[in-house]
Amino acid sequence: MSQTKILLVDDEVEFASALAERLQMRDYDVKTAANGLEAMALFHNSPPDVVILDLRIPGMDGLEILKNIKIFDPTIEVLILTGHGDVESVAEGMKSGAFEYIMKPIDIAELTSKIDMAMKKRIGSRD
Amino acid sequence: MTDNFEQELRFLQMRFIGKILAGFTHESKNYLAIIKESAGLIEDMIKLGKSGEAASSQYLEITHSIEEQIEKSAGLFKYLNRFSHRMDTKLSGFNCNEALEELIALVNRFANQKRIELAKDFQQDLPQIYGNPSMIQFLIFSFLEENIITLDQNSRIIIKTETANGSIMIGIIPEGNLIEVEREKVEFPYETYDIVLKQLGGALTRLKGALKFTFPLKVSDI
Amino acid sequence: MEPEKTRKRRVLDFIRTWFNAHDIFGILSEDRYKSLKLRIILLDAVLSMIPLLIVVTISYFWFLQILKDDFRNQMKWEIENSKQSIEFFVDQKLSGLRFLTSAYSYEQLSDQETLAGIFSKFKQECGGLVDLGIITQDGIQRSYVGPYNLKGKDYTNQDWFHEVIVRSVYVSDVFMGYRKLPHFAIAVKKENPGKGTSWILRATIDMETLKKYPYSMNLRENDDAFIITYDGTLQTPSRSHGNVLEKYNLPFSLHAQATTIQDIINPDGSHAIFGYSFIDDSPWILVTIIKSNPYLKIPKIFKNELFIITVLSIIFSIAVTFVLAQTVVNRIKKADREREEAMANCEHASKMSTIGRLAAGVAHEINNPLAIINEKAGLMKDILETSGDLQKNRDKFISQINGIFDSVNRCRTITHRLLGFSRRMDISHDAFDLNDAVKEVLGFIEKEVLYRNITLNLNLADNIPKIESDKGQLQQVILNIINNAIDAVEEGGLIEVSSASKDINSVRVLIKDNGSGIPKEKLKHIFEPFYTTKEKGKGTGLGLSISYGIMQKLGGSIQVESDAGKGTAFTLEIPIKLVEV
Repeated sequence: MSQTKILLVDDEVEFASALAERLQMRDYDVKTAANGLEAMALFHNSPPDVVILDLRIPGMDGLEILKNIKIFDPTIEVLILTGHGDVESVAEGMKSGAFEYIMKPIDIAELTSKIDMAMKKRIGSRD
Repeated sequence: MTDNFEQELRFLQMRFIGKILAGFTHESKNYLAIIKESAGLIEDMIKLGKSGEAASSQYLEITHSIEEQIEKSAGLFKYLNRFSHRMDTKLSGFNCNEALEELIALVNRFANQKRIELAKDFQQDLPQIYGNPSMIQFLIFSFLEENIITLDQNSRIIIKTETANGSIMIGIIPEGNLIEVEREKVEFPYETYDIVLKQLGGALTRLKGALKFTFPLKVSDI
Repeated sequence: MEPEKTRKRRVLDFIRTWFNAHDIFGILSEDRYKSLKLRIILLDAVLSMIPLLIVVTISYFWFLQILKDDFRNQMKWEIENSKQSIEFFVDQKLSGLRFLTSAYSYEQLSDQETLAGIFSKFKQECGGLVDLGIITQDGIQRSYVGPYNLKGKDYTNQDWFHEVIVRSVYVSDVFMGYRKLPHFAIAVKKENPGKGTSWILRATIDMETLKKYPYSMNLRENDDAFIITYDGTLQTPSRSHGNVLEKYNLPFSLHAQATTIQDIINPDGSHAIFGYSFIDDSPWILVTIIKSNPYLKIPKIFKNELFIITVLSIIFSIAVTFVLAQTVVNRIKKADREREEAMANCEHASKMSTIGRLAAGVAHEINNPLAIINEKAGLMKDILETSGDLQKNRDKFISQINGIFDSVNRCRTITHRLLGFSRRMDISHDAFDLNDAVKEVLGFIEKEVLYRNITLNLNLADNIPKIESDKGQLQQVILNIINNAIDAVEEGGLIEVSSASKDINSVRVLIKDNGSGIPKEKLKHIFEPFYTTKEKGKGTGLGLSISYGIMQKLGGSIQVESDAGKGTAFTLEIPIKLVEV
């Protein structure tokens, strides 16, 4: 099985790099972007399979990014990162086509299982 | 009379929030301190050139502890978040169990100082009530605080919820010995709480130190 | 022009302070309620007393006038009465004489003895008769009965003779007669039918009978009544204006009209009422002089009653006014208290809301650093689990550990804000640094600003002294304004926050944004409660009005400058020393 390509979009660089490394160690191909522009650039260069997206990033509304991704390729699955109690944005995100959501601070096992499920769905919908 | 009561109530409410926030801040500070210490310890271990099995396993323990503290902190902040949002709107439909859960989480520190256990005995399918959650939290907290102050160490307070006859019952049941407390420590404005209770449409009965609050499913505004 | 204008303005200001409607955020102290009460009572009492007094005064003088008029009418009537009596008296005497001239012939009356007999009989009927006599048409006394010796006297040169010949009747004015007593004479002429001759019958009457007529009038002390001739000679003795045949100085010339009453001023300056009437067919005028003002006795009693009633009315009206004023002011007091209470409740709710949001904000913000710590710890765990040795990746580990330290500090800063806030839950008036307070507030909105790409320019002056005020409340105001600014600029705008000393008594905080601005028509409403430019559901519209109230309470002020499309600038002025409002 080829590596699941992951695009991690989060403005907290410390967090993103540590998480990316951890995921790399778990055999995922991870690229990180700190804002919407970077994300879209990486997107067009090498589209990912799964996007892990923090909704609250400056520069471009996380929700907008989500919608753009879905327009670009609806089979790309998006997992949204959220803080506790951010119920409204989660609801919005799910409505706009997110696959699942994860709360920060992250349980790595939960994250990887959700990534795998997203990937499975993507493979399924591609065929 | 009404003038003073309103003023006093506002003051007490503010004091309550202050206590909660202060307590919470201290508790989270504790967690952070542990995390910092743990990280510091690992740093020391590395710098000291430690290696090998023992070091590694110790190291794993420490990181695990950090993750634990993070989980606890996250939980605490989740409660803080819920609690804070209740202060925003006066009237809303809410679940008493949740509101009490937050309260207990945020009050734990006070109880822990005297090793008093706060035990939950919640009815699972408690129906929602419509009312002023922040005010009810304030009321329950006030009586809880009194109990914590007057109970001896290593005691227990059971917080119970159940529904009966179209109303919600919240019970505060202390289990333990009472201790002598200096009067100034316990200046308890019973009259004010009575008025608040009445305005919320609730009632309070006491039975051998146990307090039983009853609230109708639609609590009136205060 | 200038001094007059300022005087006018001063007067207006004075009146305005006297009847001032208080500012909606003013808090009335007990003194103002007392003075308000006093003002109401005075105003009301004066207003109600004026018409009362006017009515009472008018009534009194009107009543007085009526009495005066009544009295005068009475006087007129009495004079009339007397005049008519006198006229009757004279007429009666004349009738008597005429009867004699009809009943007896010239020859009979010429006879002395017959005349004497008639005289004594006539005297019985006619009291006061002194003499009786016949005078020929040539003016010679033909016969005479009486105390004088007038037989044969010649009257041709006398006025009275001419008059009686012409008029057939004559009444004389009083003269000193027999025994130096005043008398008057009457005479009638008798024509001899068919013969063309005439003769005169003359009688003298003493004045006693005449005297009784003026005397019969209802006179009190100081009053006087008497008869005079046209030139002022007294015909009857008067009480205080001279004796018989003395001259009385007429105060004014009398006209032969009907009975007349007139006010006069005596030579000694006192007032009197002068009444007179010409007595027909006689040379006489009846005069009455009233000094006594008897009609004033009644008003005195009336005055007393009136006075008592007026005083009672005034007392009553003041009592009523007092009660009313008390009620009104109490109502105002109550309404003010209730308003204050409502304001306090609003502020409280707003405060709760603010704290809630800040606390929730803290809870949100802390997620990221916590997540970072979690990831780094997790990463270290992973690395160790895969590579197996502590020292192998020591640099990496050290860098992760440092990352954890940084995040822990970040968490601390975030939660510390909350602690700072929670400490100030009760009101305090400690001195604090304004810039620190501003920076604390900015700390809370840091993330939001970053998230929206808003540039925040800080220009906090170094030399601001510590201020004594309520830090929590002031921060609430600043937070409110900054939140509004953030909402106004949306994405990528500019917010400037600056602080400076205004003068030795106050400092100033300026919060400026380059957002959409507020159009001039809306500008005057923004401090009103429940006024909001946000869409429905967002914002309560309470923030600015509460901020306004807080600034007033702190003894400072809040001002705004803005226009559509030109951004908005809020200026807060805060007194350095604590102000008791």
